[in-house]
Amino acid sequence: MAIRVNPKIIDDLAVYGAEDVQLCYHCGNCSAVCPHADEFNVFPRKPMRNLQMGLEKKLERSLEPWLCYYCGQCSEQCPRGAEPGETMMSLRRWLTSRYDVTGLSRLFYRSWKAEMIAILVLALLTGVAFFLFGMLRGDIHVYSGPGAFLPSSAVHLFDWSMAGVLAALLFVNSLHMWRLVFGSKDGPKPNLFMYLKHLPQLPWHFLTQNRFRTCQERNGLWLIHLLLVASYLTMLVLIMFFLPTMQSGPEIRWTVHTFGYAASIGLIGATIFMLHGRLKKTRTQFQHSHKSDWLFLIMLVYVALTGVLQHIAHRAGFPVAANLVYIMHMMGVVPMLVLEVPFSKWSHLAYRPLAMYLAAVQRDALLGRSSQGGEILAPRRIA
Amino acid sequence: MRSGIFFCQVEENNRLNINAVAKYAANLPSVEVVREMGIHPRLDAKDLAKQIQADNLQRIVIAGDMPGYFKPVFAKAMALAGHDPLEVRLASFREHGASAAPTLERAKAIVACAVFGVPFALAVMPAETTVHQTTLIIGGGIAGIQAALEIADAGKPVCLVERFGTIGGHMAMFDKTFPTLDCAACILTPKMVSILQHEMIRLLTNSEVIAVSGSPGSYRVQIKCRARLVDVEACVACNMCSEICPVEVPSEFDAGIARRKAIYIPFPQAVPNAYLVDREHCLYVQSAGKKCGACAKKCPKECINLDQKDDFIEMEVGNIIIATGYDVLSAEDIKQYGYGMFPNVLTALEFERLTNASGPTGGKIVTKSLRLNKRSKKEEWVFDPHGEAPKNVAIIHCVGSRDQNFNSYCSRVCCMYSLKFAHLVKEKLPDANCYEFYIDMRAFGKGYEEFFERIRQEGTFVIRGRSATVSQENEKMVVTGEDIIRDKLIQFPVDMVLLAVGLIPARGTEELSRMLGLTRDEDGWFSELDYNGNPTDTERGCVFVAGMCQSPKDIPDAVAQASAVAAGVLRSISSGRGIGHRGSVTLSDIEARAKSLQAK
Ligand SMILES: Cc1cc2nc3c(=O)[nH]c(=O)nc-3n(C[C@H](O)[C@H](O)[C@H](O)COP(=O)(O)OP(=O)(O)OC[C@H]3O[C@@H](n4cnc5c(N)ncnc54)[C@H](O)[C@@H]3O)c2cc1C
Ligand code: HEM
Ligand code: SF4
Ligand code: SF4
Ligand code: SF4
Ligand code: SF4
Repeated sequence: MAIRVNPKIIDDLAVYGAEDVQLCYHCGNCSAVCPHADEFNVFPRKPMRNLQMGLEKKLERSLEPWLCYYCGQCSEQCPRGAEPGETMMSLRRWLTSRYDVTGLSRLFYRSWKAEMIAILVLALLTGVAFFLFGMLRGDIHVYSGPGAFLPSSAVHLFDWSMAGVLAALLFVNSLHMWRLVFGSKDGPKPNLFMYLKHLPQLPWHFLTQNRFRTCQERNGLWLIHLLLVASYLTMLVLIMFFLPTMQSGPEIRWTVHTFGYAASIGLIGATIFMLHGRLKKTRTQFQHSHKSDWLFLIMLVYVALTGVLQHIAHRAGFPVAANLVYIMHMMGVVPMLVLEVPFSKWSHLAYRPLAMYLAAVQRDALLGRSSQGGEILAPRRIA
Repeated sequence: MRSGIFFCQVEENNRLNINAVAKYAANLPSVEVVREMGIHPRLDAKDLAKQIQADNLQRIVIAGDMPGYFKPVFAKAMALAGHDPLEVRLASFREHGASAAPTLERAKAIVACAVFGVPFALAVMPAETTVHQTTLIIGGGIAGIQAALEIADAGKPVCLVERFGTIGGHMAMFDKTFPTLDCAACILTPKMVSILQHEMIRLLTNSEVIAVSGSPGSYRVQIKCRARLVDVEACVACNMCSEICPVEVPSEFDAGIARRKAIYIPFPQAVPNAYLVDREHCLYVQSAGKKCGACAKKCPKECINLDQKDDFIEMEVGNIIIATGYDVLSAEDIKQYGYGMFPNVLTALEFERLTNASGPTGGKIVTKSLRLNKRSKKEEWVFDPHGEAPKNVAIIHCVGSRDQNFNSYCSRVCCMYSLKFAHLVKEKLPDANCYEFYIDMRAFGKGYEEFFERIRQEGTFVIRGRSATVSQENEKMVVTGEDIIRDKLIQFPVDMVLLAVGLIPARGTEELSRMLGLTRDEDGWFSELDYNGNPTDTERGCVFVAGMCQSPKDIPDAVAQASAVAAGVLRSISSGRGIGHRGSVTLSDIEARAKSLQAK
């Protein structure tokens, strides 16, 4: 089989954040120190090698970047300052753009301007649409109940339709990821049983991010991240199922709002922790920040803060302010979800669990294919 | 001749103000154009040719840290412009030492010489001076010894100053040397003895140079001879003093794996073959005469004088050779290999002593055993000749070398001595498995590649990939690494780990460089005058460097360099004229000389 080489891929990846790949001299320290490398997936040195050699197709098929949970140990010990950890991070960005069938992800990752324009346009469209809708149907002096400026039933409908569109996009991209991983002719071919057997991995990794914990003894980020995910999921449930109750008032509905408060604190606390870390470069993971890292965190914190403000304004009896802040909130929510979930960093919420699942399937397929299964299992011992 | 000067840098250099050099260059005669092209400029021969034609330049001077890098483009441009491509001249800051102080003046002089078309080395020849006959050699390792013997054999007086109680340096610690597997002592000991017996050599051990003044050809040096407390002439090395001494400390010569007393001889073949007292640990000295004193009473020759005072010697010398060698990076700082945590992780020097017939186990390779220390009542890991032999030994290369977190340079000898270790393990313990983890095998010398091949034939597993960690699982040490060639992660239990720890300049190098006004490179090694053309001279006239102190090198190279230094010293003595410091020639002198040379 002919092997296609793309010698430009290193330069290309620099746009996604990996600038020091050339420095690597293949000592293997990083792979040996990585808590997640195993006999099937030897990384991060191999991906560094593939990058240097321009083996684009191999990289495209690789799950390894997703199996790295960025503990940073490899970068700390790398004798050449080749930043293997950040290279894996950049490969994740690159892969995200490869999985995306629309090509928008690639555009946004490579062009800061395009991304900003997209955000502004989406924000403006949302703002104008919501404002006109409110003016047409309701009264800006009323926040909830009859005649409300933005009635919760309408917003609810909007939320559900957006969720549907985004989920569909993410699903198509995930399908593309699966095709890339198992699509090649000479690759392993899992059977249906293998696919079924490992299915529980999906919810397990989605809900617990369990593999992150292994890195935790070094950085404790897992707990913060878990807090963020839990808060976010709580918010999601509240918005998707309890929006009318959330928006009623002005008195506080403790049964629902208690969850809302907890989730807001979690969201704001965790994102501010991450922002602060990146600003002060407190950890190896925070040494290098791609624009997409900043954008994700800033949008998360903006949305959370405007959500809280809107709530306060409403409960304190300022319906006009509450309605206006609500529009500002939505001007953050819409671009954030539309850009981040299918096209940018947030897509990891699907790709990471999926990668863990596919890696397990792949392992079974490899073992099944090999005539001497044991040989693959035991190579950690030499001689 | 209409000249154009182009400043092209390969690297950023904060120490040199290029702009100031450019301003100076613009005022040189016949210079028409001066351009600062910056770092790694993109040069196009056609564009340059147009410029050359427009300004009608007959000569191009490329000035920068590595101007040769840009020469092909300019030569092509000259040819395209129809001018003589041979008139592309280089003003190389790095080659001519403009990284040394005073940088700016030096850089200007280098550019001036290129503009005048005169070799820099010719224009910068310092004034000649007369030379005192005696040579001072600092450091009595193999390099210092070799230089001393060469000069003394030529009939010139030498004073050899060694800081330790014996000469021999690191080589004295080794059993065998790569790649010939010659017995180190068989080569070194006769040389050491000749030093002592040579009528032209004055040997001062336990001594250090504390001040240097004067100028090339006649330096005044002050030497502090630390009191040995034992009369070197009278001592017969009977060991009676040592037997009675109550103080035990780790032996420096044994790299800390064995213990010695406060009164001791570094090793049985030490030169001079006499005991000395370690005043830092002697009870008598530390208590100002109130405690102990046992050894003095015991000595049958009555040659111990515990109240002896330091001696200070002043002398005049013509030339000075620095041969201070190296030290080893502290392995504790490199956390990942567990040195200091696991008893059987050893540094290379420790292993040299373990495998040496004069070492604590008589040359048997064993793992450490747990022993009760009677004095401190604590259990300690020590080497015991009856200890257990290791079954699996891992040798890890490049520990603290080629690593930006420690030394970015290659220590150059560790690949080969690691192979030597593998041979010694296989020779003494044929059943043991030996694993060698390397990144690149630097077998660059005569017979070295063949030596590597031989070690492979002997059955050592040579693994490409630096082992990343040594950890402990179930009482067993485990090494983890990636076998890059077989594309596998590997992990297996071992009984002993040998670390090829990187080399650094000897402690005290910085003080010495300040005392002598010498520059050192960014890694701390003494700077030679010119790496290619003048590897033994320094910026200071009549001061030379030999052996490891100039850069990592093995014994053959150290010896060769030492002999070359001796030639330089003898040249300066026999001509009766030394050569002054290069730095002493002023810019205006250089300009004037370049002009007059150009006229010729
Ligand atoms: C573990 C190991 C194994 C090796 N095995 C081999 C081998 O098999 N074959 C081979 O070719 N090479 C080998 N080498 C390299 C070899 O050790 C060196 O090439 C050689 O020792 C260099 O000699 P030197 O005289 O320059 O330095 P050194 O041997 O370090 O001697 C320097 C001397 O100067 C003295 N000194 C230092 N500072 C002062 C001061 N300020 N004043 C007075 N005296 C001072 C020191 O006490 C010392 O005696 C090995 C190196 C190591 C680390
Ligand atoms: C609602 C879902 C999720 C949210 C809101 C979320 C949010 C985030 C954020 C904000 C970061 C960036 C932290 C930084 O700036 O350094 C991050 C990183 C990370 N997330 Fe998530 N995440 C979600 C789901 C998941 C899931 C399901 C997994 C794993 C199965 C996961 C694993 C990780 C890992 C390993 C990192 C660190 C490495 C990297 O940035 O790629 N996340 N997440
Ligand atoms: S540790 Fe650094 S130099 Fe070594 S293989 Fe990994 S990335 Fe390359
Ligand atoms: S950052 Fe951690 S998990 Fe990722 S490759 Fe490096 S060592 Fe492995
Ligand atoms: S006087 Fe010092 S050297 Fe002598 S026996 Fe006592 S402690 Fe040891
Ligand atoms: S000589 Fe070999 S072991 Fe030593 S630093 Fe160089 S490459 Fe590494």
